[in-house]
Amino acid sequence: MSSAVLSLKNIKKAYVMGETEFWALKGVSFDIHEGEMVALMGPSGSGKSTLMNIIGILDNPTEGDYILRGENVSDLDEFDRAEIRNAYIGFVFQAFHLLPRLNLLENVEVPLTYAGYAPWVRRERAMDMLNRVGLADKWRNLPSQISGGQKQRVAVARALAMNPALLLADEPTGNLDTQTGNEIMGLFHSLNDEGVTVLIVTHEAEIAQQTKRSIRLRDGLLESDRGHEQQRPILHEAVFGGAP
Amino acid sequence: MSDMSKPIPLNTMKTEAPDNAFRFEDEPRSGRLGFLEILKIAWRSIRANMLRSILTALGVIIGVAAVVALVSVGNGVRQNVTNRFSSFGTNLLTIQSGQSGFGGPPGLVRGGATQTLTLADAEALRDLKDTRIEGIAPASQSNGQQVKAGSNNTTATVIGSWPDYEVVQNAEVQAGTYFTTDDVDKRRRVAVIGNDIVTELFPEAEASSVLGQSVKISNVSYDIVGVLKEQATAGFNDPNTNIIIPISTFSQRLERSEYKGEPTVRTITVKVADARDVSAVEADLTTLMANLHEKTSSDDYDFNIRNQASQLESVTAVFSTLTLFLGAIAGISLLVGGIGIMNIMLVSVTERTREIGVRKALGAKPRDILSQFLLEAIVLSCAGGLIGIGIGMVIAYFSTSALSVPFVVSIPSMVLAFAFSAAVGIFFGFYPARRAAKLDPVDSLRYE
Ligand SMILES: Nc1ncnc2c1ncn2[C@@H]1O[C@H](COP(=O)(O)OP(=O)(O)O)[C@@H](O)[C@H]1O
Ligand SMILES: [Mg+2]
Repeated sequence: MSSAVLSLKNIKKAYVMGETEFWALKGVSFDIHEGEMVALMGPSGSGKSTLMNIIGILDNPTEGDYILRGENVSDLDEFDRAEIRNAYIGFVFQAFHLLPRLNLLENVEVPLTYAGYAPWVRRERAMDMLNRVGLADKWRNLPSQISGGQKQRVAVARALAMNPALLLADEPTGNLDTQTGNEIMGLFHSLNDEGVTVLIVTHEAEIAQQTKRSIRLRDGLLESDRGHEQQRPILHEAVFGGAP
Repeated sequence: MSDMSKPIPLNTMKTEAPDNAFRFEDEPRSGRLGFLEILKIAWRSIRANMLRSILTALGVIIGVAAVVALVSVGNGVRQNVTNRFSSFGTNLLTIQSGQSGFGGPPGLVRGGATQTLTLADAEALRDLKDTRIEGIAPASQSNGQQVKAGSNNTTATVIGSWPDYEVVQNAEVQAGTYFTTDDVDKRRRVAVIGNDIVTELFPEAEASSVLGQSVKISNVSYDIVGVLKEQATAGFNDPNTNIIIPISTFSQRLERSEYKGEPTVRTITVKVADARDVSAVEADLTTLMANLHEKTSSDDYDFNIRNQASQLESVTAVFSTLTLFLGAIAGISLLVGGIGIMNIMLVSVTERTREIGVRKALGAKPRDILSQFLLEAIVLSCAGGLIGIGIGMVIAYFSTSALSVPFVVSIPSMVLAFAFSAAVGIFFGFYPARRAAKLDPVDSLRYE
């Protein structure tokens, strides 16, 4: 039996714009287990990115509880959120978000730097990760000197550097052509095969088809959770009953 | 790890790697960003915008250079003035005619005031036989006197005084002796001449060989009894062109002016043996002079007593104030430099909003971001400070040599200027850095 990496309980998120507040999430609950690969789907504006930011602890939910690895992390200050992000979350963005002045190795080193590892540890680990995504020989290059697909590989290497509990990717293929996008998806699949828990936001049904499980949002609510039914009863016992 | 082309499985690495394999999880982590790392991040961003960084630091460079140069030149000028004053001795009291007021050093006599100081006053002071007093020398002076010896002639300042002139003015002889009290009483025509007079009137003669020879002042012949030591040109006239003769002879042969039937003198200089007695002696002399001149109220005094030490103090105070004032102006320019740094840092934070978002998403804490930007501002201002100190020293070096005052390297002013520029960096860097630290990670990642 696999344990829950994360568990969302009635997560709501309101954006306040002047007088009006807009509920981007209206109560979303689901669990993700270790080793799962989940596709998060839904039309534009349905709240996928908002949910990813909450799961990635970049943002706090307005209401609801978020249990990450058995710990409630729904209302932490920025200091603690930074530590948890650093240790447990690997984020891959649509726009790659590599730091332009750092070479590829240094980019991968960044999370290790904030964790306070010694320079040689960072280098060795970052080199392993670049090797893992097949870009070890380009470590000296600047992000501007490589292709979009390669950038996203470096971003994946960077997300993996701290050996996170959860790899999050918000439309990671959105800025790539189909061919390159498929390669990146292949990378996520092989990572998942090795046991990395992956949550990917995607528009493309084709990609979602490749995953065992896909969650669909609509207007801030969970519309469907395909491929999950058989696990649900076990889950409720394990997490809702047993969590501290 | 032998097959590089094949990806290394992450989790198998964790479980199946041999005992000696590298596993970063086992390595110690401090949980915080190291200082050197922050410095590296700050330096990279300064280097990436080198021209802008230099222009930003320019305000601080100019400010610090101004502080260092002004303080250094100010100190040089002050030291020069202090040297001039100290060469007269700080335990001298100088009595002059006229109401008290700030004037130059003794010897420079203000014109206009009625000469009410007489030889009788000097004699009365001498008759006190005050043991605290080391010497008393009245002096009358005639500038620009033509002096002849044979076919040679030169211009000299002729001073009539007493033998105590030697101790009071620190004007020792290198050859011969001073004239005596007897010479004064008998109005003998004897003279002690300055070193330059010897070289002008008796070229190639030794100082000792001119003793016994004579010089003509106003067609009156004087026997040379002593030659003064070479003295540094301190003060406002050159002591090496002085000729000292008995004051009685002076008033008989050169200039005679009287006040109430007594011959007048320009100054009476009193040397106090112990500098600590200067104030007490000054008070006693004031009382005595008031009695002699029959003055009851200090408003009526027709004399004034100058205390070298207190004059030096007031001149020093004036210079300190001036230096402080100039320093404050320079400080303001440093402040302006600081505002420049703040301005650029704010721009920099805005430009790098995305970078801040990415760093935060990867685990940077607010304090890490704060340190990064704060250190960037501090590095900018400190580098500006160091360059400014260098430029300031160069300016000070050339200005002091142009003004021919001593080049004083004031370490405290440099340390202060550097500390101030660091403080400027901290003060003006803090607000932009805090703004960066407080940025919301989600918003900054979305920032275009
Ligand atoms: N910072 C924000 N302020 C106000 N509204 C926001 C903000 N972020 C997202 N929204 C709104 O919330 C809704 C969900 O957005 P998002 O999570 O980005 O959707 P998705 O990623 O599924 O396209 C959208 O209607 C969007 O306009
Ligand atoms: Mg989105």
